[in-house]
Amino acid sequence: MSTSLRPGEIVLEHATRTFSVRADRGRTLKEMLLRRRHERVGPPPVQALCDVNLHIEPGQTVGIVGRNGAGKSSTLRVLAGIIPLDSGTVACGGEIVSLLEIGAGFGRDFSGRENIYLNGALHGLGRSQIDERLESIVAFSELGHFIDAPVKTYSSGMFLRLGFAIAAHLDADIMLIDEVLAVGDEAFQRKCLARIAQRIEAGTTLVLVSHDADLIERRCERVIVLDGGRVVCDGPATEAMAFYHRLMGTPTPEAVG
Amino acid sequence: MAGMLSAVSEALRYRYLFEQMVRRELRQKYKGSVLGVLWYLVNPLVLMGAYTVMFSLVLHSPFAIHDYALFVLVGIVVWTFFQQAIMSATTSLLDQGALVRKARFPRESIPASVVTVQLVTFVMIMTLVCPVVFVVHGSLSAALIELPLYMALLFAFALGVGLVVSVLHAFFRDMEPIIGAALLPWFFITPIFFPIQRFPGAASHPGLEPLLHWANPMAPFVTAIRAVVFDGHSPGLADVGYMVGAAVLALVLGQLLFRRHAGELAVVV
Repeated sequence: MSTSLRPGEIVLEHATRTFSVRADRGRTLKEMLLRRRHERVGPPPVQALCDVNLHIEPGQTVGIVGRNGAGKSSTLRVLAGIIPLDSGTVACGGEIVSLLEIGAGFGRDFSGRENIYLNGALHGLGRSQIDERLESIVAFSELGHFIDAPVKTYSSGMFLRLGFAIAAHLDADIMLIDEVLAVGDEAFQRKCLARIAQRIEAGTTLVLVSHDADLIERRCERVIVLDGGRVVCDGPATEAMAFYHRLMGTPTPEAVG
Repeated sequence: MAGMLSAVSEALRYRYLFEQMVRRELRQKYKGSVLGVLWYLVNPLVLMGAYTVMFSLVLHSPFAIHDYALFVLVGIVVWTFFQQAIMSATTSLLDQGALVRKARFPRESIPASVVTVQLVTFVMIMTLVCPVVFVVHGSLSAALIELPLYMALLFAFALGVGLVVSVLHAFFRDMEPIIGAALLPWFFITPIFFPIQRFPGAASHPGLEPLLHWANPMAPFVTAIRAVVFDGHSPGLADVGYMVGAAVLALVLGQLLFRRHAGELAVVV
């Protein structure tokens, strides 16, 4: 499927995905047996993605913005191959590295160092490949001797440091980042952004979800505004962000200044 | 065919992940406890001790088998592996929900790793049981070299069943109590406390013995492993063929069912 795409290229065609929103997502036998007689009660299904068409070129930096529940994170999870589509197609060229949630895939009782191995393995690396990068990852994270402490003792900022340090050392053609940088301190955020910029120089595609309008405007050449699972605006960052601000009812920076 | 090839190349690429998961599972459960990994041995050993004492001493060897305690012990070791493997596989995908929801990797590695952890325990306990047999019997049979083969076949069978129950439980939360309820009667119809010919009523109903032996996949496994460890002879060829068939069938069906529903796992767990 992805063989015809260039590394870093992303194509979404008529992507549609709905979720049923219920307290207990697993079905039980009783519900199965009773379903024939009773229509399901509860809120109607949510359209997370509704006929989304996207073509992202290799090396592009794309920001995704929209209100809560607009489908931003769902889009990233679809691109990352974690959730399938109901209809339409998704195709990504090359290696995808995603940073969707701080601390996802960490064993809480294990040290930072052990978690580097587990996390690297989750991305399909072998022991020797992780060995090669270990020192550099530890150095990047600036965790010092905490690297040998169990990660359950970490603060969320320290989780981000470790998670980002690992992600930064994977050879990504596509980087998917969901609102995680915000918990880092200013110095580390700068370091992350510098690292991302370095990656982009090297031709990596970046898809960034954030509510930080400033960050999006500084880092992304293209911005996609989602609303109710649909693309309502897709264009150069300045224009799309102006649209987004109007959508949110917030004054644009010019109007304030 | 192409699907098979990509599955194989994926499995090769992620083999280190699988190794990491097995290690993590082995160490995480009892991390911080004094005995650590040894707890994996303590629980099955206590269970076996209790059953063995109850059935061999309290009931006074009801089947007139020499070294009845040992006879029961071997059967219980085999059953304990199967039961623990299935029960831990059932909840494994939900236990690792954080991973499933946020990362992309072959989901099979989760149930496979917990079943493998049970295999590690199984091998360790078998390694302890064999010297005991030697001491009690005074000798070990040459048929014992077949033991790893039958253990591997049982592992494959348990892995196949484990794939099925893990994915079913992710979608239907009733699976865990159903499995729990099914394992208990299954345990009592499996020839663990008795040779299959001695099952109550087997003498008067000629059809009962083959039915108990062939309709229950665990019966040939228990009988074969007990044959090489305790009785000191190889199992029949029909039993060996049956075990190979059961292992292959369970793996193929398990993999098919798992692959078919693995996509939605990040949504349902």
